[in-house]
Amino acid sequence: MPSNIIGWARLIAGVLGLSAVAYIAVTGNYLLTALGFAAIYVVFVAALNLFMGHAGQVSFGQNAFAAIGGYGSAILTANHGWPPMLAMLASALLAALVALVVGQATLRLRGHYLAMGTLALGLISYEIAVQWEQVTGGYMGISGIPPLSIGGFAAETDRQVFLVLALAAVLACWSVWRLRRSRFGRAMGAVAGSEEAAAALGVDVARTKVITFVAAAVYASVAGSLMAHAVGYISPEVFGLHMVVVGFTMLYVGGIGTTLGPLVGAFVIGMLPEVIRGFRDVQDLVYGVVLILILIRAPGGLAGAWRR
Amino acid sequence: MSLLQVERLTRRFGGLIALDDVSFSVPSGSLSAVIGPNGAGKTTLFNLISGFIPPSEGCVRFDGHDFAGLKPHQVAARGLVRTFQLVRPFPAMSIAENVRVGTHLRTKGGVLAALLGQPAQERRVADRALQLLDRVGLASVADQAPSSLGYGQLRLLEIARALATQPKLLLLDEPAAGLNHVETDRLGLLLRALHADGLTILLIEHDMRLVMDLAEYVVVLDFGRKIAEGPADAVARDPAVLDAYLGGADA
Amino acid sequence: MPEATLLLQFLVTGAGTGCVYGLVAIGFCVIYNASGIVNFAQGSFVMLGGVVTYSLWHALHLPLAVAALGAIIVSVALGVLTDLLVVRPLWHRRATMFVMILATLAVQIVVERLTLIVVGDAPMSLPPILSRGPIHLGPIVLDTQVAFIFAVSLLLVAGLRLFFTRTATGRAMRACSIDRDAAALLGIPVSRLVAVGFALSAAIGAIAGILVTPTQYTAYNLGVPFAISGFIAAILGGFGNPFGAFLGGLMLGITQSLATVAFGAGTRNVFSLAVLLIFLLLRPQGLLGTAKT
Repeated sequence: MPSNIIGWARLIAGVLGLSAVAYIAVTGNYLLTALGFAAIYVVFVAALNLFMGHAGQVSFGQNAFAAIGGYGSAILTANHGWPPMLAMLASALLAALVALVVGQATLRLRGHYLAMGTLALGLISYEIAVQWEQVTGGYMGISGIPPLSIGGFAAETDRQVFLVLALAAVLACWSVWRLRRSRFGRAMGAVAGSEEAAAALGVDVARTKVITFVAAAVYASVAGSLMAHAVGYISPEVFGLHMVVVGFTMLYVGGIGTTLGPLVGAFVIGMLPEVIRGFRDVQDLVYGVVLILILIRAPGGLAGAWRR
Repeated sequence: MSLLQVERLTRRFGGLIALDDVSFSVPSGSLSAVIGPNGAGKTTLFNLISGFIPPSEGCVRFDGHDFAGLKPHQVAARGLVRTFQLVRPFPAMSIAENVRVGTHLRTKGGVLAALLGQPAQERRVADRALQLLDRVGLASVADQAPSSLGYGQLRLLEIARALATQPKLLLLDEPAAGLNHVETDRLGLLLRALHADGLTILLIEHDMRLVMDLAEYVVVLDFGRKIAEGPADAVARDPAVLDAYLGGADA
Repeated sequence: MPEATLLLQFLVTGAGTGCVYGLVAIGFCVIYNASGIVNFAQGSFVMLGGVVTYSLWHALHLPLAVAALGAIIVSVALGVLTDLLVVRPLWHRRATMFVMILATLAVQIVVERLTLIVVGDAPMSLPPILSRGPIHLGPIVLDTQVAFIFAVSLLLVAGLRLFFTRTATGRAMRACSIDRDAAALLGIPVSRLVAVGFALSAAIGAIAGILVTPTQYTAYNLGVPFAISGFIAAILGGFGNPFGAFLGGLMLGITQSLATVAFGAGTRNVFSLAVLLIFLLLRPQGLLGTAKT
């Protein structure tokens, strides 16, 4: 039992949040789609948190890996009839490979060079998605992507889809938490704290950064694949700069470097479009304003305030 | 038997010679020190030995191996572990976790092992960290953040962290800088105890009192060159050393 | 038309676009030199230059020159507001460089979306500022607007050179770029200079946007592409060196133009982003510069 007011506040907030999610899931409310979307973003933001919050690196280009996952799954399932899980796995492998190659080169950069280099990576992926029409469908994108399925079981109703996405979100948070509390996670934290001190204790700094980058790319790719299957349609816009801004807003609102931050941030920000429903153009504006306010006023985010 | 041999080590930065043709060796099991006024090239020497910068000429031999071309983490993996003059704690981790990082070289496992879980190894790591914190006197604050520690305690944390790697040679870069008398004495006791356990220690120090109190063997640098070496009491009487220290800017 | 002439023609057109990139790049450098911040909202100044000019000219029927002046004023206001409301509070909190970049990126998104809400997403263009036929230089045809871009850019660069060498504020800004802390110790009002930097760079960005709009079109979402090209130009020139950045812009414009000839228009952006990555990896200090990494 909590011993003080803050403890009780946490407990109540947690219980309220969980019951709201459970209520929507059980009643099959129209909000279910938005919740599912938030769950996909949990996976994406958890990876962002792994690379930036825990390993202390910078990437503005994680949307590139989500695009690899999304397009990989879409092309392999819709155009080539692969089973969704196999397509997801293959796309994640490709994302890992790309991250390995790009990471070797890019992660040597520092400061705004690294920021701009990774941003360029995301923009290049967008350009390729637009220009490589015979494979990606250009601006039109790819439609007719089948729902997720394993063996004979397919997630077809809204409730089934949400269940799968929620499971993915929980798995993502759990695995990042697990990673953080391991030998590898300590190496990551050491690199974030002081590269010199980490190296002096025998941590291979360059290798740790690249492995973390590859791991984060795999999560992002899976998030992209889930997006493709949950919506059934993808276009370059899905994985554009919008995704980066939304991801960062969620990460900072939730609390960078915390375990629950991605979960809290993705659900709070993910439900925002429902609150301001009907004003599609206003969405990104609100994300931007929220992000600026959080960066200035509460850099620890909600989970940061929670911990205090 | 010498554990560390520094042979004709030279380092130039542009036209400036930071370290000029310095040779000495550190016997296994000894407690030695490198001293010299500020700007004598001590930190350059340490950065060269620990692989943080490459030498312009000369070489470092450790435990029979040439260190040429090794990166800092590879140097550490061979048993030569350093601390820093400006302490570098990992601020997002607890004090105990800081020390657990030090077990990196003595443990195994990457991403996959992390996901599967390694309870036995983790228990061993946690025990080892607590043991080391107990040894340096920080066990009672193990779960706090490094930001709660004073400068002297942060140095002890850094030493505990380095000890967790189970080094053959511990390089300490001005461990007494910024410490008060009580803290310096405490540090002296710790180093003496570690030495008694058989650990080889080489320290760079500005604080003559600590060096003369502790070190068996002393190398003196001035303007990048070695001007004297020998047992501590002999070096302390060497006119060249006295001249360098008394004639120096901050004697 | 013979091959060589065609190539020359593309060179001239590329150099015209390159001037605009160069101006955007100068905008990056001016803020970076004063504050050490890479302002990812730089593209919004360029976008506003074109969009506000068009809106004032088209909707309010103002003369083009007045509309352009209005656009510059709006941009400068935005620049100063960005400094006051976003950069300064973060500065006081000693936020990391990454947080600063992220915040300016958020400003870019906010401005972009506000513009979308106010003026819509239709592409808009301006009539050429000088209304006379193209200039014939032997076999090469020089569009009057491109000639105008050359003239204004060179005038601006010359003016900036005077500003940085002859005025007290300009000299203080150069001192800041060398060592901000030392400049502050010498009594140079660094935070005021950062505001001046934002205002100046917003004005330059807006002018670049106004210049380029008659040759193509502008829309709410054209800020980021221009910012990227400007950033690449700044990197090519060695970050922090405004005149190197302008040369970098010229180079990028010409390279893009040649890439369009060789590989088709669609590859233009992929090509310049690839140039950026190659430069970041091989020569981050730029062609001329000794930029601080």
